[in-house]
Amino acid sequence: MSVIAPKFKLSEFIKSLLDNIFWIMLLLTFVGLPAVQIVLFYIEMPVIHGELLTPFLAFTWLADPTRILPVVHAFMATDLFRIAAFPGFGFAALLAAGTIFVERKMLAKLQLRVGPFYCGKIEGILQLMGDGLKLISKEIIIPAKADKPIFWAAPVMFVGAAAAFVALIPVAPGWVVADIDMGLLAVFAVIGFFPIITILSAWSANSKFPFIGGIRALFQMVSFEIPLILSLLGVVIVTGTLNLSEISASQSFFPWIIFLPVGAIVFFITMLAELERIPFDLPEAESEIVAGWLTEFSGMMYGLVQLGTYLKLYAFAALFVVLFLGGWNGPMVVPPFPEEFLVGVEMGPVKVGPFPGLPLFDQAMLNGTLWFVIKTVGVIFFILLPRGVFPRIRIDMLLNLGWTKLIGLAFVNIFIALALLYAGVLGPGGLQ
Amino acid sequence: MADAVFLALTVITIGSAIAALELRSLVYGSIALMGTLGGIAGFFFLLDAPFVALFQLAVYVGSIAVLILFTVMLVKRELIFKKIEDKRRKFAGIGLMLVVMVALGAVFLDSGIKTITTDEPAAEFRDIGMSFVTYYWPALILMALILAGSVTGALVLAKREDVENDQRTS
Repeated sequence: MSVIAPKFKLSEFIKSLLDNIFWIMLLLTFVGLPAVQIVLFYIEMPVIHGELLTPFLAFTWLADPTRILPVVHAFMATDLFRIAAFPGFGFAALLAAGTIFVERKMLAKLQLRVGPFYCGKIEGILQLMGDGLKLISKEIIIPAKADKPIFWAAPVMFVGAAAAFVALIPVAPGWVVADIDMGLLAVFAVIGFFPIITILSAWSANSKFPFIGGIRALFQMVSFEIPLILSLLGVVIVTGTLNLSEISASQSFFPWIIFLPVGAIVFFITMLAELERIPFDLPEAESEIVAGWLTEFSGMMYGLVQLGTYLKLYAFAALFVVLFLGGWNGPMVVPPFPEEFLVGVEMGPVKVGPFPGLPLFDQAMLNGTLWFVIKTVGVIFFILLPRGVFPRIRIDMLLNLGWTKLIGLAFVNIFIALALLYAGVLGPGGLQ
Repeated sequence: MADAVFLALTVITIGSAIAALELRSLVYGSIALMGTLGGIAGFFFLLDAPFVALFQLAVYVGSIAVLILFTVMLVKRELIFKKIEDKRRKFAGIGLMLVVMVALGAVFLDSGIKTITTDEPAAEFRDIGMSFVTYYWPALILMALILAGSVTGALVLAKREDVENDQRTS
């Protein structure tokens, strides 16, 4: 049996631990606390309960829920929270991480394998963390004749473009990072950046397999972008807006997939192609051209590209939900916030509360997020499912499908939308 | 704020335009061209026309720049271009550019651009669409016909007759 540290002695381990604790305490007392006080002195502090929060009181509110809750509440209204945590990066990355694990495990079950099993006690649930640690600690190897600036920039740009896509998705009423009137057009603009990044990274690696993969990716993405844009025009025609939040809110009675099933099918197929998923995974066909345009990436550069890929997967699934499946709309299942916390609870002799700023999330937001997540996870499941079932298709079949059949179907969808509008089924005087 | 953004966009646009012309590497040149087109999109944002700006990004940066990049990657530069280093040509080019810029600037300044009010609300894209289908409908029909013709032509070009082969029946 191999041992990780052969000369391990418990006493020395404890000694080093105590040593570290000593130094941390010392530095915190003589450097950390004064630094925090000095910084707090220059920051404009909020007024809580009619009392200015001075730096001297700054540590007392950490222990007092009636003081910390309004601060948390105020922080949740900031842009930083939206970008980093809830409708933005953190939320999307969490769903993406779940997607990776579910994909590996589900694919294994479909193919009668075991899948990730040893990392973590239950069914290899820590496999993703292990993979992440491995990718971070691996050396980044750059091919000798690669074009270094572009090669370094490509993974970062890929994640950036995917994050920009995520930022446009409305998760719950009012919960969206960038609520712009031209949301759908911005989505088209962001989608247009992916082929550029792919082909640039493929070219910059100066290697055969990445270049073949990159050219395949370019062909595939550019030819499927047109039916993708056309298939979404039907929704724009029936709603009369390009704002994703308004499109989502317009489906409070019925989702648009009932009226525009053709557009939904075309969008789903083009989505699979844009995401390079089986049966359209020609750009990284691992059995033909090592890993396609990802071949030369190593270490965390590969990790960044994978992160971007799964963020993009989440964003496309969420876009499908927003446009065709009703977004956050669904029956109200979240119970209302208990009133006692707002007026205070009598617990024997002690009266607890009231807690100002307590309903951190209102009922509509929690309900919207719940339905949105359920629908998005469902769509992601249907995106993952073909991987266990279908083989890869040929490039000429792919291009033929994109340029002739899907564009035709997208036009059929537009005419259906126009017919519904002019027949008075939808729009003013109709159902909505 | 807007002035600083305008200056930064100007520097990006003109700088990357010069880079697109002057860089030896064609791929970097086309990346610089993307910078120019993106800078123009930024100008449209500053002019309160996000509709045009996003179409500029989606069409010019997203599609046309990709086509240029793709073409550039597939050619060997040495075979088609021979750069002639010549001082006289360079200065003549710069002089020609200055003459054209001065002439265009004179035309712009003469066109009554000074009397434009700048704090009007942004034009709603629905209004633009409305006037397209009412007053300017012949132009719209013409554009639609041209676009339909080009799309049909592209489809016809893209659909090739398959080579008869028993092993490759699709």
